[in-house]
Amino acid sequence: MQPGEEALKQWMVMGLAGDSAAHGQLLRALVPILRGFYRRRMSAQEDEIEDLLQETLIAVHTRRATYDVARPFTSWLFAVARYKMIDHFRQGGRTCTIEGLEDILAVEGFAEASDAVADVERLLETIPKKQAAAIRATRIDGLSTAEAATKLDLGESDIKVSVHRGLKALAQRVKDSLL
Amino acid sequence: MKTEDLISALAADVPPVPRHGLLRRLIAGLLPGGLVTLVLVGLGLGFRADLWPAMHGGMFWVKWLYTGSLALCATLATLRLARPDAGVAGWLWLACLPVLGLVVISVQELASVPSSQWLAMWLGMSWKVCSTNVFLLSLPIFGGLLWSFRRLAPTRLRLAGATAGLTAGAWGATLYCLHCPESAAIFVLTWYTLGMAAAAAGGALLGPRLLRW
Repeated sequence: MQPGEEALKQWMVMGLAGDSAAHGQLLRALVPILRGFYRRRMSAQEDEIEDLLQETLIAVHTRRATYDVARPFTSWLFAVARYKMIDHFRQGGRTCTIEGLEDILAVEGFAEASDAVADVERLLETIPKKQAAAIRATRIDGLSTAEAATKLDLGESDIKVSVHRGLKALAQRVKDSLL
Repeated sequence: MKTEDLISALAADVPPVPRHGLLRRLIAGLLPGGLVTLVLVGLGLGFRADLWPAMHGGMFWVKWLYTGSLALCATLATLRLARPDAGVAGWLWLACLPVLGLVVISVQELASVPSSQWLAMWLGMSWKVCSTNVFLLSLPIFGGLLWSFRRLAPTRLRLAGATAGLTAGAWGATLYCLHCPESAAIFVLTWYTLGMAAAAAGGALLGPRLLRW
């Protein structure tokens, strides 16, 4: 289970106050989040993603004074991550396949997008843990079914069924909340 | 380097960030730059001989209000653009107000004198050097801002460069007022604005290269 906005923000604020343990906790928690963020958006080699991840961690560390504690932490984080990715492409100076380029380039509406992340988190909490974990692994972190199966210590078909049932339940929740 | 090692190294050095750390960082860059510019004005160009009597007149304050309010708007816009999740720089729109105000004052002033004097008012005695001086005086302040930006995180580099340039130009112009004896609004509107615009354009040109991180 990845820590959400609240936990991340709390660590960030404590880190800004000089709490190095909280700061380390924050950076460690960001690793899977950022890895998922980059994997979903670029078709790069693992080591390339790892480089980008490390650069982003350094930027989060050295430029943390630019975080406004009155605003959501994740929108700041993903703005940094997105900038680092675009800069990476610019540096490479070659064409890469970027999925959802229009989403990346849309600077406006970014707050809404991070609100959506929070909404997804809230929805996932309403379905059984196993289904939520399977959806998170395959649809949010971008793992393949096989990778998700290893990570969660489940069978591949179990993962598939959980994702299927989970998505169905989520759709029902959304439908209910709209009625 | 392993990511875990990197994190350990980073987490070993966590100095507290003061409240309004971003603003402090910006001011810490602006002040030394402004000081250099002030010394250049004082020692290089010389303060205007009638500085004290001029401060009792209205035009000196009109000039200061013009350049000072532009400087303030540009500084606040830069402050916003120094954050990665910056929205639109609304302060830049507010910066149009002083320009409009000075346009109104210029028209009034021109209407109150015979048209034969207009050219003399517009060119003053120093139109050839005014814009250049404003631009050159902005450079130390721009340098200071570049230092500030080494710890900041702009994502719209061209716009951030432009507002940083305008900030430097407007503060530079504010200090240049201590030297410049011109007192026609149309002069300030033309040549000061041109100098500040040049600084902003320079910042926009260099922003993507110098503000990258």
